[in-house]
Amino acid sequence: MRAEHEPRPREDRGRPGLEELLERVARGDRTAFERVYEQVAGPVYGVVLRVLRDPAQSEEVAQEVLVEVWRGAARFESSRGSAMSWVMTIAHRRAVDRVRSAQAGTDRETRAARLEVHRPYDEVAESVQTRLERERLRRCLDGLTELQRESVTFAYYGGYSYREVAELLKVPLATVKTRMRDGLIRMRDCLGVER
Amino acid sequence: MNGALSGRDPHTLAGAYALDAVDDAERLRFEEHLERCAECAQEVRGFTETAARLGHAVALAPPPGMRERVLAQIGHVRQLPPVVALPVPEIPEVPEAPPSPRARRTGRSRRSGPAWWPKLTAGLTAVSVAAAVVLGVMAIRAQDLLDMSRQDNRQIAAVLAAPDARAVTGRTDTGGRARAVISRSRDRLVFVSSGLSPLPESSTYQLWRIGPSGTTSAGLLRPDASGGDPPPVVVEGIGGTATMGVTVEPAGGSRQPTSTPLIMLTLPEA
Repeated sequence: MRAEHEPRPREDRGRPGLEELLERVARGDRTAFERVYEQVAGPVYGVVLRVLRDPAQSEEVAQEVLVEVWRGAARFESSRGSAMSWVMTIAHRRAVDRVRSAQAGTDRETRAARLEVHRPYDEVAESVQTRLERERLRRCLDGLTELQRESVTFAYYGGYSYREVAELLKVPLATVKTRMRDGLIRMRDCLGVER
Repeated sequence: MNGALSGRDPHTLAGAYALDAVDDAERLRFEEHLERCAECAQEVRGFTETAARLGHAVALAPPPGMRERVLAQIGHVRQLPPVVALPVPEIPEVPEAPPSPRARRTGRSRRSGPAWWPKLTAGLTAVSVAAAVVLGVMAIRAQDLLDMSRQDNRQIAAVLAAPDARAVTGRTDTGGRARAVISRSRDRLVFVSSGLSPLPESSTYQLWRIGPSGTTSAGLLRPDASGGDPPPVVVEGIGGTATMGVTVEPAGGSRQPTSTPLIMLTLPEA
């Protein structure tokens, strides 16, 4: 038990939570899926676009992810984590897979250049909850060392492997792995993520 | 190249794993590590939630029309079946084989594995699911079965599901354990070992079929990359094999056993 933690992003009281909705989706409930869509489509599209950068491609991948949520809802297990994190894991992994499969022969410089216009927080949908969450995230990111922050954000928002991050930042592989882990530990504690 | 290096200390990969910053081989290896490391699994859960927050913070209004396209599309997509608990295969257990004269003998059939088998945590990969079933320590879920992609696992599942499957258990003097599940009708058995003493690189554990027509090798027992217990071995062509034995042999194995078996499992007849 932890004395203080900030609540996970989740919906208002009185409305069914994402977990419950997914259970209904697993039973083929299309109405429940529409409500899931309302909650996750923005985050899914946002993270995919963040990684891929190309709007047309991102829409295609986001669509695949959402269909996968429908298809695989029965695979979600609340004992293994929150519903939102289940969805976001699917989304991020799909986006990263797309980057890596498209990467063969692609100029690495292009992707590096893409990251220079790295603005993780400026394109977010206008909702109070999201804005507060974004501010909290920024505060927490600011609490990391530069190397931790770069390792985490290049990997997550840039879709880079830790080997690529190591090359980009000119640090040893072991260092990058450690910084990613340390960075996530700090972020987790700062955000008050339940464990 | 550096696979061995990261294999030696997979723990440090938890952050990169949660950020999807590993390649497929590393992901697989790390997930196998997670099964054996409850602490790591918990850390990864926290990291995955944290990563999701990073993603959630860059939410954007999806393009117009996407909703309609998704809703139209799901009408044509069959959903994966729900997760259901399959009954653990009830594999009658024949009395435990010696070598130790103090070995406990019970004639009772045991549905779940003996308490000394490793407890497996959630987040199973295919190999461990197979092992879990062989060991009988936990229920297997339909989804895990569906996820099984390796040929070995299908073979293992086939043996375990056979109506005539029987299990037999044995132990070494030094605390190693072995268990075989045999199906005469499928002419196969699944062999699992646990807690065998580590060997120098110059030698290996080798599994043998011992029957009326002589002794033949059934393969080597290779510890996995991180030094854990060897994965299950499927032995085909059981024929008249009466006994399975494990010996220590020079690296690469021998044509015939050159040392005294550490474990002998007497197989039940058909």
